[in-house]
Amino acid sequence: MPGLLSSPVCLTVIWFLSWSLCSSRAQIRTDEVPDVQYKTLGSNVTLTCGKSQNRLPVVWHLNNSSVLPWHRVTPDGELILPQVDRSAQGDYSCYDTEGRLLHTVTLRLGHRPGLLSISCRVPNHTHVRCSWVEPAKMYLPVSYNATFKNGAEWRPCVVDAARRHCDVDELAFWQPMHTLIVTAFNDFGSSKTTIRIKLHELLKPDPPESVKVEELEDFPQRLLVSWSFPSSWPVEDAFPLMFHIRYRPQGSVYWSEIYTEESSFVILDALAGHLHQVQVRARDEVNSESRWSDWSQLLLVKPWEVYATADPTEESEYFFPFDTKPETSTEKSHNPIQGDEGNLGLVILLVLFSVVILTTILSLIFVMWMRQRRRDQATKQELTSMVKMKSMPI
Amino acid sequence: PAVLLDSSSSLLFSLLLAQLQVFTSASPVPQRRPTDMDKLSNQTKNLMKLTQELLREHAFDSDVEPHRFRSLPEMSNRSANDLSNLELKPTLTQLHADLKLYEHHFEWLNRVSKKHHHPAVPKLVEMIKEMKSLITLLHRQMLRVEAPRLTPATPSLPPHLPYQFDVLQSSHELLQHFKLFCDWAYRAFISLKPKASAVQ
Repeated sequence: MPGLLSSPVCLTVIWFLSWSLCSSRAQIRTDEVPDVQYKTLGSNVTLTCGKSQNRLPVVWHLNNSSVLPWHRVTPDGELILPQVDRSAQGDYSCYDTEGRLLHTVTLRLGHRPGLLSISCRVPNHTHVRCSWVEPAKMYLPVSYNATFKNGAEWRPCVVDAARRHCDVDELAFWQPMHTLIVTAFNDFGSSKTTIRIKLHELLKPDPPESVKVEELEDFPQRLLVSWSFPSSWPVEDAFPLMFHIRYRPQGSVYWSEIYTEESSFVILDALAGHLHQVQVRARDEVNSESRWSDWSQLLLVKPWEVYATADPTEESEYFFPFDTKPETSTEKSHNPIQGDEGNLGLVILLVLFSVVILTTILSLIFVMWMRQRRRDQATKQELTSMVKMKSMPI
Repeated sequence: PAVLLDSSSSLLFSLLLAQLQVFTSASPVPQRRPTDMDKLSNQTKNLMKLTQELLREHAFDSDVEPHRFRSLPEMSNRSANDLSNLELKPTLTQLHADLKLYEHHFEWLNRVSKKHHHPAVPKLVEMIKEMKSLITLLHRQMLRVEAPRLTPATPSLPPHLPYQFDVLQSSHELLQHFKLFCDWAYRAFISLKPKASAVQ
């Protein structure tokens, strides 16, 4: 047997077997499930060279380069990276002194999701969209799960992870309080953010749509403003909107304002020959605690004018002397038609009143004249009777 | 001449009366007579305003969601989409029952607030008065359209409120619920207006 063992053929076989075993061992090591470690940015990270306890000196490489961030290697072969930053992220490999690969580990650095900053928008009584921002950059994809307490039941809030928001439809709107829980999770961990919201206070319609400002022919001081309900708001009796219109000549800091429930309004006091800025916004008419929509886009329109006499250069050079003063506004009547009718009514009233006064005066004159005439007649009769009496024989 | 004088005076008097008549009837905007549904919606809005004032002036706004009142009208099953498909009689019946329930709750709150000498008492009294007025109006409308009346539910009210804080919190909870109820009821009344006009 010893002879057999010492034979060159046998030694060659043994060497071959041991070599193949060795290489297969190394192969097993590199084929094993990649070791990925998730660590928090700024923390101290310790990487071990596999499960080796042999206390052999090892050499660490990062992304196949011997250049590593600030580090220390322990006698056990552990790599210690203090207060890691983003540059420390990558594939780490440890080799023995003979250059054989012992272990590979991938280091991923980032943050565990923190408490989210959530805000919700309620464009009508059926829908809420809650959006959030993370407190810091996570550096790793984050997934979200959101639930919404709608009345007594919990319902999923449909998440759009890329846009970081979630939506709930068919709300039980007339509840004092609603609760939203958003759970954010990534490979570092998870966090749960809970907010309580009052939908009736968050209700904020979208701005009015199709806002138009038109001149009215033959009326150099009038502008017709019209708009329609925002498309996200139901056009139903149950959901009236209040509209707020503001306008001013370009260059002025003073807005004129009116409120109306109609979908059009005639500005009666435009400054003839000047460009006017006009905007409209909307709010739920019933719920005065709800919010005004954003203003519609600023529109610039000039009232009708006889173009032959107009001087456009003069227009553009006109400035109002109020630029340094704070923005103020004056409120006007609700309805243009009502305003017209009001003026007409006032005129009628004045005419009627003058007729009354005139009639009264004429009547008084007439009465006084009649009295005077009666008195004269009585005097005349007295005189006549006195003359008659004198002429009578005693 | 005396006859002439008398007749001229009476003519003047008649003329003045006629002018007065014209004067009083000449209104710039013709006034439409409010319908019963208008009265109901206006009264609901009035109540909503009173509730908001009470909340602003006297209630204690906390983020905690107390659940002291177990028998308030259920609002979680009322959605915005329902408002366009309301039926006249069942809705009036339901609103009447809901209002009666709120009336009980507010009378309880009034009693408790009086015990604690809460400054909101005068306004609460006014609110209960307005609520009763709305209930009467609604009942009249129900009779007109022959809407049935539900048997009033027995409210389950908190047994005892030992501290002023409890009164404030209960007040806040009740007013918050009632404000939202009024918001829904107002919308219901204005949605039902065409249907009520069709029935009458």
